[in-house]
Amino acid sequence: MSTPVRRVVVVGNGIAGLTAADTLRGAGFDGELTVIGDEAHAAYSRPALSKALLLDGDDLSSHELAPPTHGAAELLGVRATGLDVDRRLVRLDDGTELPYDRVVLATGSRARRLSDAPGEFTLRGLDDAFALRERLAGRPSVVVVGGGPLGMEIASGCLASGCRVTLVSQGVPLIRQLGPHLAGVFVKAALERGLAIVETGSARLEDRAGETRVVLDEGTVVEAGLVVSAVGDVPNTEWLAGTGLAGRDGAVRVDARGLARPGIAAVGDLAAFPTSGGPRRIPLWSSAIEQAKTAAAALVRGEDAPPLRFQPYFWTEQFGLTLKAVGRLPVDGEPAYLEGAPGGPALMRWSHGDGSGTAAALNHRIPIPRLRRASGEAG
Amino acid sequence: MKIVLDRPRCEGHGLCEEAAPELMHLDDDGELVLDREEIGDTDAAQAGAAVRVCPVAALRLS
Repeated sequence: MSTPVRRVVVVGNGIAGLTAADTLRGAGFDGELTVIGDEAHAAYSRPALSKALLLDGDDLSSHELAPPTHGAAELLGVRATGLDVDRRLVRLDDGTELPYDRVVLATGSRARRLSDAPGEFTLRGLDDAFALRERLAGRPSVVVVGGGPLGMEIASGCLASGCRVTLVSQGVPLIRQLGPHLAGVFVKAALERGLAIVETGSARLEDRAGETRVVLDEGTVVEAGLVVSAVGDVPNTEWLAGTGLAGRDGAVRVDARGLARPGIAAVGDLAAFPTSGGPRRIPLWSSAIEQAKTAAAALVRGEDAPPLRFQPYFWTEQFGLTLKAVGRLPVDGEPAYLEGAPGGPALMRWSHGDGSGTAAALNHRIPIPRLRRASGEAG
Repeated sequence: MKIVLDRPRCEGHGLCEEAAPELMHLDDDGELVLDREEIGDTDAAQAGAAVRVCPVAALRLS
């Protein structure tokens, strides 16, 4: 028989940890709840960092979230350094050992780096965003390495700040994430706004006399006053060493209820959960929230809690365009236009062979439930 | 308890509608409409979920 749940420790204070803590309370857990956050900041909205926060004036509030209501003991600015699954303890970097009956692993991921050079900027946390804003105020020339959504959002923000910006991308920007049609729409908008795009097979960073520069595969060097990389993320799971919870890729595999083992949930960017394409990490805002809700309910209610049913919701804002999409990405081929027309605000749909679909709204305000319905409708 | 919308912040994602369909919806123009602003105890959890899911924190409870 399982032990009574008196103490739950949530390790991680991003949207996944925060939502898990909220949901535990909502599901009736009234015991001792502790949330550990390695940043000194209150939980914030990470998507805002590369969007509105780069464009904010002096207000700097785009990332702020409503204050938590879970009533947990919050230990902020403290890092978890170990998990003892036999004695059920979370070890912290200040020497504390926190006992738990149930634990939520929500330490997220960090930016993958191309070098150890201090001149390589990344944008992952709030401090990164403040540091980047400070540098952009001097209007340096910028090279962004990475043609995914984050790299493109950063490039857009830097351009809007008045910088000259070069984007270095493996192939056409966004094509791997969104597919050729949508990538084409964004690249056109980016070029019209003055972004220089360099396609390359690979890129590395090199420190030369304190200056960081980008070296492309054929040896071409791209120099700029500021180098920002956006080349993916790495799960923060080193602290789980010895537990067997993290795989070789660093991700924690969980079941459909977000549990890695009985009593141990893993949610958010570090968790690989079952999808139709096998276990996957889906490091997106709504993914973190849905995972956290599912897993927290499972910790309290066990098998009675419903498994995760989830269709990714993705959005990006860059170069004057706003895209909202539900369903599988990338998408091949040309869309059907449910509303609007090519070149303007539009609601588009791609049909997949299995009867499912992907719906995308471009510069078109639409409720998510409607977008979800559009993705499901036969095209 | 009351739900308060900071309209300039709202980007019309509509994740709140999904979390609390009885309390709010986006209209045909994608503008958020609060169907009920005064929240009783029975709806508090739904209202809290709607506030939490907003990625631009356009909603709060007071």
